[in-house]
Amino acid sequence: MTDLLANVSQAIANSSVREFILYALTNVPGLPPIIQSVHICAIAVVMGSIMFVNLRILGLAVPSQQPSEMIRRLLPWTWWALPFLFASGVVFVIARPVRYFFNPVVGIKFSLLIPALVLAATLHALSRTEPEYWEITAQRRGLARIIAAISILLWLSVMMAGRWIAYADYLFWPES
Amino acid sequence: MSLDPFWDWLANTDLAFAIGATWWFPLLESIHVIAIALVVGSILMVDLRLLGVAARSYAMRRISRELTPWAWAGFAVATITGAGMFMTRPAAYAANPAFQTKLVLLALAGINVAALHNLAMRDIDRWDTDAATPRTAKFAGAVSLVIWAGVILAGRWTGHLN
Repeated sequence: MTDLLANVSQAIANSSVREFILYALTNVPGLPPIIQSVHICAIAVVMGSIMFVNLRILGLAVPSQQPSEMIRRLLPWTWWALPFLFASGVVFVIARPVRYFFNPVVGIKFSLLIPALVLAATLHALSRTEPEYWEITAQRRGLARIIAAISILLWLSVMMAGRWIAYADYLFWPES
Repeated sequence: MSLDPFWDWLANTDLAFAIGATWWFPLLESIHVIAIALVVGSILMVDLRLLGVAARSYAMRRISRELTPWAWAGFAVATITGAGMFMTRPAAYAANPAFQTKLVLLALAGINVAALHNLAMRDIDRWDTDAATPRTAKFAGAVSLVIWAGVILAGRWTGHLN
């Protein structure tokens, strides 16, 4: 696994795509903060969709909206945020592949992101089978609450981890 | 009147040292990002309703009443965490053009909200439950989206200049 990571990160490091991105990031004025702002705006969309769905399921926000209807209306926004998050994030990974591939916080971030996405997809897929899928029985309401609570913790951790990736550099390689 | 003595004093407080020299800074920074996402995420939902493009079956007033407290809560957390980071190098931040731009944009966001409440929301009874919204409401929603994207950009740029 470490070999594979090393090979892939080396391949990226030697590619001309990386050379181009690194050139653009260092020479186009303001490009790094602009791309990072796209990332943060997309995080705000995640907050304004799946996170508020979760808060609603737990009875903490937007009481006038019905959870299943809200899921069907808002989750497409979560899915649309993902390509923007990916594109604005991968630019920095390609620019410094070795740093990101061997940064333990990156691994933590993605192992929390995947279950968060699976839980969101579960809420969305089941909400499409019946108009009031998540309201109709006590068991489903209970299950939705468990999913929502775990989902909130996962997303908050993913957002925290994202910011800590930059600091892991100082923590794990203070000399570089 | 120069604020330099005050910035000096602030930067030399025990709290500023504690934040600047420990894991407190990245911790405050990550909470700051989450708080901003909460502010912009909740305002985004209100703005899209103002524009008449999302949540069209929900009354405007209800959307606004249920989401605005979340925006303010996020704003309070962002202000506290932001102040914590600011005090580690106050003179540098105060002179940072990106940070200055961010403060101006925040003031404009406040003016936009005040204008919205005095213009579009004044005759809210006439269009509260309409899917289509009046032109003043659309304008305030669009301006808000642009301003908040600008706040995020100026905020992120601040870190690159400091």
